[in-house]
Parts: sequence; structure tokens; C-alpha cells
Amino acid sequence: MKRRLVVILLASVLVLSLIAGCSGGSQQQAAPKEEPKPQTIKIGAILPLTGSAASTGVKLKYAIEVAQEIINNPHPEINLPLAKDAGLPNLKGAKVEFVFADHQANPEVAKSEAERLIQNEKVVGLIGCYHSSATKPASQVAERFQIPFVAGSSSSAALTERGLKWFTRIAPNDDMETKFFFDYLKYLNEKFNAGIKTVAVVYIDNEYGVHAFQMVDKWIKEYEKDGFKVVLDVKYPTNVSNVDTEVQKIKQAKPDAIFHASYIGDMTQFVKKYKELGVVPKAVLCYCGGFQDPQFVVNLGKDADYFSGSNACTSTLFGKMDALNKINELYKKKSGVDIDGPTLEDFASAMVIADAINQAGSTDPNKILDALKTKTFDAPYFVSGKIKFGPTGQNDFSASVMVQLQNGKYEAVWPEQFKTADPKPAFPKWEAR
Amino acid sequence: MLAQVIASGILMGFIYALVAIGLTLTWGVMDIINFAHGEFLMLSMYSAFWMYTLFRTDPLLSLPLEALLIFVLGYVTYKIVIKRVADAPGLTALLATFGLSLVLRNLAQFLWTPNYRFLNQTLVTDKKLAFAGIVLGLPQVVASVGSVIMTLAVFYFVQRTRMGRAIQATALDKATAKLMGINTELVYGVTFGLSGACVGVAGALMSTFYPIHPESGALYSLLAFVIVALGGFGNIKGALQGGIIIGLAEALGGYFLGTQFKYAIVFLIYLLVIQLRPQGLFGW
Amino acid sequence: MYVVIGVLPFIIQNTNFHHVMVIFLIFAAVGEAWNIITGFAGQTSFGHAAFFGIGAYTSSVLFWKFKINPWAGMLAGAVLATVTAAIVSYPAFRLKGHYFAIATLAVAEIIQQLVVSWDYVEGATGISIPVVADGFLNLQFHKSKIPYFIIAYVLFGVVLLISYLVENSKLGYYLKAIRESSDAAEAMGIDHALYKLIAMMISAFLTAIFGSLYAQYILYIDPFMVFSMNISMKIVLLVVLGGIGTIMGPVIGAAILIPLSEYTRILFGGTGKGIDLIIFGMLVVLVACYQPHGIVGMLRRMSLLKVSATKGGGATHAGRNAVS
Repeated sequence: MKRRLVVILLASVLVLSLIAGCSGGSQQQAAPKEEPKPQTIKIGAILPLTGSAASTGVKLKYAIEVAQEIINNPHPEINLPLAKDAGLPNLKGAKVEFVFADHQANPEVAKSEAERLIQNEKVVGLIGCYHSSATKPASQVAERFQIPFVAGSSSSAALTERGLKWFTRIAPNDDMETKFFFDYLKYLNEKFNAGIKTVAVVYIDNEYGVHAFQMVDKWIKEYEKDGFKVVLDVKYPTNVSNVDTEVQKIKQAKPDAIFHASYIGDMTQFVKKYKELGVVPKAVLCYCGGFQDPQFVVNLGKDADYFSGSNACTSTLFGKMDALNKINELYKKKSGVDIDGPTLEDFASAMVIADAINQAGSTDPNKILDALKTKTFDAPYFVSGKIKFGPTGQNDFSASVMVQLQNGKYEAVWPEQFKTADPKPAFPKWEAR
Repeated sequence: MLAQVIASGILMGFIYALVAIGLTLTWGVMDIINFAHGEFLMLSMYSAFWMYTLFRTDPLLSLPLEALLIFVLGYVTYKIVIKRVADAPGLTALLATFGLSLVLRNLAQFLWTPNYRFLNQTLVTDKKLAFAGIVLGLPQVVASVGSVIMTLAVFYFVQRTRMGRAIQATALDKATAKLMGINTELVYGVTFGLSGACVGVAGALMSTFYPIHPESGALYSLLAFVIVALGGFGNIKGALQGGIIIGLAEALGGYFLGTQFKYAIVFLIYLLVIQLRPQGLFGW
Repeated sequence: MYVVIGVLPFIIQNTNFHHVMVIFLIFAAVGEAWNIITGFAGQTSFGHAAFFGIGAYTSSVLFWKFKINPWAGMLAGAVLATVTAAIVSYPAFRLKGHYFAIATLAVAEIIQQLVVSWDYVEGATGISIPVVADGFLNLQFHKSKIPYFIIAYVLFGVVLLISYLVENSKLGYYLKAIRESSDAAEAMGIDHALYKLIAMMISAFLTAIFGSLYAQYILYIDPFMVFSMNISMKIVLLVVLGGIGTIMGPVIGAAILIPLSEYTRILFGGTGKGIDLIIFGMLVVLVACYQPHGIVGMLRRMSLLKVSATKGGGATHAGRNAVS
């Protein structure tokens, strides 16, 4: 009897290993042979394609597909590096292929996918992961295997404070964003006499929100002399069924300005409650998150007006920036909506890593890293126009503009040289909309 | 201010209660934990959303349709899946419903994209009631009134109708009920359908103020588990009172101790109550 | 079987496969631990993520803040989890069936929220475990996964042995007596609270050990990852799938569930449409519908597992009683 048991278990394990072996084996065969100039260069993209952030993850995927399309096919009409010819010119027109993986917002999965992409798919670089908590372990894997990692929209300042050699990040981190917010409030006070003094911070209880609050806590010391004061901080659970109590606290504190670190689902609920309870601050500034998602306007209509936030991009800039407009046309064909800030940042990460490979003229990771760390990349789709990574891997050029929703459009309102409309420094009464 | 917090806590409590009543029915009658309960709620919300987007039918008007649709879904789920696992070891049913919840949730993402949707122009949107310094949003008021009506209807159905009595009898002792000539298969199917109808109504009511998303139902079903246990399994009155207690605990706890703890407080209340009443408030 | 698992990673030299094997061993072992309290003693726990997380956090915090060796941290975490288990579960043991299950779930959710709000352990931000030199003493290996595999494998073997000893000891018989009928066990003079408590403490201890190992393996933890209900549910599902109340059940369940979720995700996850989870969910439903007694039940019916059938004696009814 015992022998029989062993036999059946052996068989089941064998089947199991066969499944595993098959998928492993085929991947190894598919890997490019060791040639100096391969025909297809693989780059891994790890995104949240299922779970609560899937709506964003899918958009990032579309944007990266647009980047691939622009790189691999001749697009002389777009004034962008790598757009003119098919493939990477310095590598005899080699094509770029982005291999997508889903991390399900789970750091364990992000880690294992990074390893799989590097070892089985033989990618030469990685981009992603949107969630800072997924980017952390994934970029550590990249560090260990000495593969360059370019993060697009992960904004936690901690990412670039780890002293990683192989990690770079496009988006301005929440540290820079917070300073940007206070500077904007100062500008409103000076130029428009907005009289903003008290600030409330409303944030989700995860790494994104908590970090944003820590940065406010840090910067408020600098700005106390300008008369700013944090009067309230409201931390709410990652999954909320209602935000009644939260908004009642805010109403009671009557802040002049509210800083929001929220995702689209909770942000929508907050706006509805603000309306219901008649909360009218002078300014609401949103960290890169739910507010920047065009679905925010679709869902809320004119209730979305007057909210502001930092953004790498807005549709009103399309008229001013030709390259951005053309990229958006391609993107809109796939996704049906206009490109937004975080999406553009991940698009940029795809373009930059391809550009770095091209400038290095090689798929040798050391040469790619060298190009990433030393070269300045043209980025005509950003208001800053270029990308250059500093010693920590952080992009020195903040591509953020302050945007405010006015009549359902994301208008750039600050800094002045990019503005498409004047800021409106106070909320009207909700009934008066 | 405190009155405002209490009022909105009670309103949420009624809505939680309706979701929980659906769960308590299947749990009490069939001893089955339906992990796909939240997904039924989510599907009902999507149905209300599409009725509005495609046919301009307000969620409050399409409500009977949602109730019917999820009733049928519940009934079919029983016939196809639950029936096969009803007599299996207890946790097997949990395995099946968990798998089902994964399928439904990701099917919703597959079909309708993971975007957050929101209905912005329903009959009740942006209207509010104000009295004595308390402001209540009409969507929540209507939703809780609707929840109470549905709760009473279910209570009446189970207590007074022939079918309802058959459900009670089957819950007490299936074998005896069968001997007495009750079609227990039908009873189970109807119970599951009725459970679906509850979240069908809840989903339609909630779609006027809650974002619609493949994971919309998850949190509500988690809270419903606690409410059902708090009230006592299979007890409709218990679920109603449990819902209100949880709604209040969440609002008051969030107000006094910090909003990040509001669900932790809900779970703590459960642990405390269960120490005093190990069978739930109304369990036996 | 145990030998086969041991040699597999040396036959198939593929890092991704090695990763699957490590995760498989961790969850198979945690499944065995859960099985002691739920399968043998009949007390359904939906909150084992609490012990898993305590293990992961204790060793990580001790290493990160005080440079305490991860092996010592692992032991400390296991002790802490055991104490926690004793404190929270003792008052809960008089709850019956589902009431107990929901109580364990509530405890896990509360602990998660406390850790999220606890700044000293970095709250929601999570902890990146400092990377140090490769080595057995540091419990970090950067070049290959084989050492992780070997450690997980040995520890897993210990867990199997403990499970076997528990099942065949006086304790095991008492636990099964309690499972089948708490009142009858009481009448026979078995102090059921005491034995349930012992089972829970053993279970928590073992779970925490593997929580520590998991943290050392991933080198990053946050509360949403190790304290999540997903972890608790994964443990429940894999044991039920394999066959509850048996020694082989958790191993078989993990051997199916873990590779299945990994490979469906690898094959279909990149599409961004959730196809992998649809397929995964459907397979779970199918197994539940057509093999309601778990895979072990199926093998037993094929009369291939008579040996353990006699030992398991009515183990298939465990679940029913666990929730009645």
C-alpha cells in the first residue's frame, strides 16, 4: 500500500514539474542568442494589471504600447528621439519589445516577476511599477542582477533615498511635490491675495498617503514663517465604505486649503461629501493620484471644478506642445481617453530606457546605466523639455505644473510661463456652481 | 456635530444591514458562507449603472429589475454550484464561493474595464435634507429607507408566508422538513435567490452615491460577515440591529479615535460583544 | 514524496521554478500548521495572517533596528506569536464554529490596523530589510535560491514531523475527540480548552517561523502584504483543496494552488484583463464541485490512500464539524 501511495504522489509531482518545466523550457528557448546586436531587445514592464489599481495599470500599459509603436515604426511626424526611424538606429534598427507582467499590487509578486523577467525573459531593463511598495522589491532585484530600472510614476521619496546604483525615477517625488504645493499657495497669497493660512492634510492610510503627510510635516517648518499652519490631518483606511466622519472633521476645522493624497474611488466620495456638507475651502491641492485621472471629471462633471493638483501633463497643453499632441492622438486611439500625468510619466520611462539603450549603442547593462546616469534626454512631451537623472537617480527636472479644473478642463495655472488660464483662488458656494 | 455623526452612522447602518441580511439568510438556513456575496452586490451596482447609461433608467426605477436579476443569479448559483457542495465538508462550500467571487470580480474587469464609474445625475443626486443643524444626503436617506423597507419585506416573507415557513423549517432540521413534504431543494434555491435579491436592492440603492468598480462589493461583504456574526447567524432582526451597531461604531469610533481606526473599532466591538453573548445578540 | 520535492530544484535549473518551490514550501508548511488547529481540533481560523505577520515583522524589526540575527529573530517572532495566540484565543474558545472563525478574522484585522498605524515599525510604508552579505548565518542569499529552498525544505520537514507526531500522540486523539464532539470529550474528562490552546499555540508558533522566512526571502514587508486577509484565505483554501484534517492535504493543496496561480499569472497576467484570475477561479470552483473532499478524498476513493485513511478515521468530516 505504501508503495502505491508513493507512486501516485510521484506521478502528481511529475505532472507538476512538467507543467513548470514546459513553461520554463520554452522561455529559455525563446531567449535571444548571445549576439552583440540582437534583433529584438526586451524590456520588462511590471504593472498592477488586476486588483484595485487595475484601472491605472491598464492605462500605463497602453501608454507603454504607444512608446513601443513610436520606437519600432517610422513616425517622422513626431519630433521625438527614436520616432523618425524604425527601431533603434544605433543598434542597426533593432526593435524593442516591452514584456508586460502583472504584480497585483503585491510586493511578493513584483519581486518574483522582476526575477522572472530578468532571468527567463532576458530583459535588459525594467520599468514600472506604479505602486511604490511594488517598486521597492522589484528595483532591489534589478540592483542585484545589475539591470537598470527606470520608474515612471512611483512617487515615494524613499525610493531614491536607498542609495541604489541601478535605479532611476522620472516623476517628481512627493518631497518635491509638497514644496511645489506650498510655493503655489504662497504665489496665490501674493498675487491674488487669497489669504490662505490654515492647511488640512487628508490622506489614505498606505505608503503613498503616509509619505505625503510626512513631507508636509517636514516642509511646514520652512513655511511657518509665511504664515502657514497645519490645523488637521485626517488619515482614512485604504478601503472605505463612506467618508462621512472624515468630512465632518474637515468641516469642523474649516481649513483654507486641503492637501489630498487619495485615489480615484475615495476622492470621488470626498468631493460628493464636501458638496453635501457645504465644505468650501479656498484651494484643494491633490498629490498625483485620483484627481489626475480623467475619470474624475467624467464621474463628477461640474462638481470637479476648482480642484487643483500637480500634474505632468494636461489636455490644454496639447495645443501648445506638438509632440505631446501627437502622442496623445496615438494613445487616445487605444484607450479612448486623453493621456494624463502618471501615464505620461510611464510613457517617458519607456522612451528614456530605449533612448539610453540607443545612446549606449549596446545592450550591455553597464553601458546602458552609464548612458542613463550621464546623458540628458530630450523629452519634448514634458513642460521641462528634458530629463536628467541626478546622483540618487531622481530626475532633476520636475515636469510638474499646477493644474486646476475649470469648466471640466485641466487648465495649467502655474508656473506662469506655462499657464493656460489664471488660477481661481477660492471655491464658490456649491449651490452657486 | 455629534448628532450629525450619529445620524450618518445610523444611515450607513441600515445599508450595511440589508447587505448582511442577504448573507445571514444563506448562512443561517444552509450553513454556507457565501464569499461571492460582495460580488453579487457589485454586479447589481453595475446593472444599475448600465440601465442608467444605456437606457436612461434611474437606479431607483430599475431597482426591481436588479432585485430580480440578482435573485435569478442567486438561484442559478445554487443550482449549478452550491447544490454540489452543500453536503460536502463545511469549508468546501467556502472554497467554491471563493472561486466564484474571483471569477465574477475579474469577469467584471474583463467586460467593463477596471475604471471607477459614478452615477452623477440620478433622481436623488445632490439633494439633501437639513434639519436642526444636521445635513443628510438624500441618496443615503433614500438608500436607508429603501433598506428598511426591504428588510421588513424579507422579515414578513420569512415569518408569514408559506415559503418563508418552509425556509424556517428547513433551517431547523432539513431531514425532518423533507419528511414533512417540503421541497428542500426549492427552499434552498429560493433562499439563495432571496439573499441575492437583498443585495440586488442594496446595490441599486448604493449606486446613487458609491463608486462602481469590480472590487466595490469586497469591503461591504467583509463588514457583513461581522454583522451577521454579531447579530446571530440566520437572524434577520439581529442583522438589522448588528448593522446599526456597526454603522454607529464606525462613525463614532472614527470621530473620537481617528478615522484610520474605524474598521478596527468595528472588529473590536464584535470581539467585546461576543464575550458577553457568545451566540451573537439574537442567536440561540 | 518528500525526497522528490527535495531533488526537483536540482533537476530543473530554472530560477522562476525555484521561486515557485520556495513559496510552495512556505505555504505548504503554514497549511500544515493551520491544519493542526482547524483540521485536527476543528476550530476554524480565518486569521492566521496575524501569526504569519507577527513572525515576519518581529525578525525584520529586530534585524533592522537592533542588528539581531534573523535566526534569533525568527525564534523571537515565533514565541511572540505563540503568546499572542494564547492571549487572544483562550477567551475565544468558548465560541462555537462560525463565531470563533469570525473572531479570529477580527483579531487579524485589528492587528493589521495597529501595525499600519505604528510609526516605530514604519507603519504603512513597510520595511526594507537591510541587505547584508550572503550566508547561512545572515539568512540572505543573493546569488541563488537554492539555499533558501534548502532551509525552507528542512523546516518544512520539521513541520511535517511535528504534524505527524501531533496526529499520533495523545494530544492528537484528544483534539479529534474534541472536534467530533466537544461535549462528549468534556464528559470523558478531557479539558478541551487546554488542548485547543496547545494546538493553537503550536500552530501559531510554526506559522510565525515561516512568516520570518518569507520576510527574509522577499526582503521587503509591509502590513498589507503579510497581515492581509488574502494570506489567511490562501492558507484556508489550499488545505481545503488538498484535504482538511490529513497530513498530505496541505502539501497536495499547496502543490496545486501555488504553481497554478503563479503560472496562470505568468501566461495570462500581462493582458491586463484579469483572465488569469478568471481561469484560476473557475478551476477552484470545479475542484470544489467535483472533489468536495479535496484531492486527498479523491485519491482515497481511488483506494490509493488506504494507509492514511485508517489513520485519518473520519477526518473528512472535520470541516462539517468545524463550522457547525
